[in-house]
Amino acid sequence: MAETIQGQGGLAIDVRQARYVYPSGNVVALGGVDLAVEHGEIIGIIGQNGSGKTTLTKLFNGLLKPTSGSVIINGIDTAKRTVQQMAPHVGYVFQNPNHQLFARTVQMELEFGPRNIGVPEDQIAERVAEAVEFFGLQEFVEEHPYRVSFPVRKLVGIASIVAMRPPIIIFDEPSTGQDHNTTHIINGLMRRLREQGTTVVCVSHDMPLLADVVERVIVMKSTEIIADASPREVFADKALMARTNLQAPQVTEIALETVVPLGGPVALTTEELAADIASRAGSKSKTSRSSATVR
Amino acid sequence: MSMQAALPIAMIPGNSIIHRINPLAKLVWVVGYVVLAFSTQNIIILYSMAAFALLLAPIAGVTRPLLKGALILVPVGSSLLALQIIAPAVERPWTIVDQLGPLSLYGDGVYYGFVLLGRIVASLLLALIMVMTTHPSDLFTSFAKLKVPYTLNFMLAMTLQLIPVFQREVGIIMSAQKSRGMKGSGFSAVLPSFVPVFVGAIERVQQLSISLESRGFGSNGIKTSYRQVKGRPSDWVIGIIGVLVVAYLSTISIMRGTWSLATEITFSPLFVLVTFLVAASLFACVVLAAVLFSFKK
Ligand SMILES: Nc1ncnc2c1ncn2[C@@H]1O[C@H](COP(=O)(O)OP(=O)(O)OP(=O)(O)O)[C@@H](O)[C@H]1O
Ligand SMILES: [Mg+2]
Repeated sequence: MAETIQGQGGLAIDVRQARYVYPSGNVVALGGVDLAVEHGEIIGIIGQNGSGKTTLTKLFNGLLKPTSGSVIINGIDTAKRTVQQMAPHVGYVFQNPNHQLFARTVQMELEFGPRNIGVPEDQIAERVAEAVEFFGLQEFVEEHPYRVSFPVRKLVGIASIVAMRPPIIIFDEPSTGQDHNTTHIINGLMRRLREQGTTVVCVSHDMPLLADVVERVIVMKSTEIIADASPREVFADKALMARTNLQAPQVTEIALETVVPLGGPVALTTEELAADIASRAGSKSKTSRSSATVR
Repeated sequence: MSMQAALPIAMIPGNSIIHRINPLAKLVWVVGYVVLAFSTQNIIILYSMAAFALLLAPIAGVTRPLLKGALILVPVGSSLLALQIIAPAVERPWTIVDQLGPLSLYGDGVYYGFVLLGRIVASLLLALIMVMTTHPSDLFTSFAKLKVPYTLNFMLAMTLQLIPVFQREVGIIMSAQKSRGMKGSGFSAVLPSFVPVFVGAIERVQQLSISLESRGFGSNGIKTSYRQVKGRPSDWVIGIIGVLVVAYLSTISIMRGTWSLATEITFSPLFVLVTFLVAASLFACVVLAAVLFSFKK
């Protein structure tokens, strides 16, 4: 399937002037959005509650059809396809795993998606085994998905989509309310998806996660995209952050207050900031270092 | 799509005279309507009741939602009338008034068909108006005044509140399954969704009961309500008028053996034919639309 898709040459996601109005109550949730995403890009979408992030991503797999404008995914117009037809092209990880899981065992849960899109049985087994391995679900395969803890359930939900190996995956809030271990696995997943050339769209309030894994950040505010740049540029833009009521990762904020005025980098990770501080400390005169030891 | 399924019948906020009538007085009228509708076969009474309900709609400012909610009557009413004309629910002998290909149309069932329809229309319209003009909590506060046990009352209120929540939940769950390429339609497609819906429901109820207990639910004492419901003299008058009218008319009806006017009112063959054609084609349209819709899905 991926071959025909790449054959279209064009974009992974091509949204033109898409408007969406929820019929119930005539709520305008998207007002003429344009967005182009290349194959293999990892993008993050941020914005306040109700800014239209979820609505935008639901257009990508056809769960919602644009009220006007067009949404072309891998060269396919979503308006002409059902959600089921889009499933092999776009995986959608729902925010709440409870909305997604229903099978009797974790194993069966993981097999459900690939089987639906017509993956041959032997390959299903291989994909499921691989997903179990990657997400560390070995001890849970025979468990009922509802008997495992919430973070594990979340991983099962993600794994059930990853096992379908769609060329585009959408995550709605993958890391909110998760423990450190789960966040770590999600982080690793993003890196692996990037290596595999999967296009990833990640809606999240988790700025450190985005700072760490995405190459491009889309900022939404009241039904519109108001910024589209690298995480470094977005997080360094204090006015933008204030206007959208968003908060850059703490590391970045500290960097902006300290090393950036001195010509240092807009750090996105602790390692980056630490390295810069260390190099500055190293290049300083010995007196400052000795005074530190005295204290 | 089912995602944004809002309740078709919900309270329409407002401050009309009808909104301000005490919920119990309104309830008396609704119950009275049902009692009267099913104790009489007098179509003049039945359709006057329906007309009265319709008159209340603009006063309450709910005409549009009322008509929308009453759309359900189209398939019910049209199938009912059409059936009564080809297969009357009255004793034979039937008189054929027209022949439509293989179908014989009988005049005898028409009157009874209109009675059945009138009963449904009258009761439904008034019930809808009541629901659309009454805040659910006001109704439950009023029940409390009637000494309905608090726990029972609370259970009723919670159940009603959970319905739209579940509706939304089912929508989300269905879209999650579709996103994973679930094929099929009809019951087999809905089945996988039941698990998450029920698990979600049970979890929700468990959490609710814990949170209620931790806030002292079930402790003794008089429960007060945030919303105050007044029982003004006018409410009493309205309620009593309702009871009297219903009691009077249903007593007469029953004394006259349902007060049917079937022998007094006769329908011309042309009227029967037109009624049948209109009813049958309306019903056919509804069926066709339903079939087309399910195919499109
Ligand atoms: N099913 C619906 N029916 C009507 N309006 C809706 C529906 N879903 C969302 N909306 C409205 O559309 C707007 C955008 O909602 P959306 O869920 O896309 O925001 P979001 O950016 O994902 O917010 P959050 O951060 O809370 O997830 C909001 O004003 C919301 O109230
Ligand atoms: Mg959202």
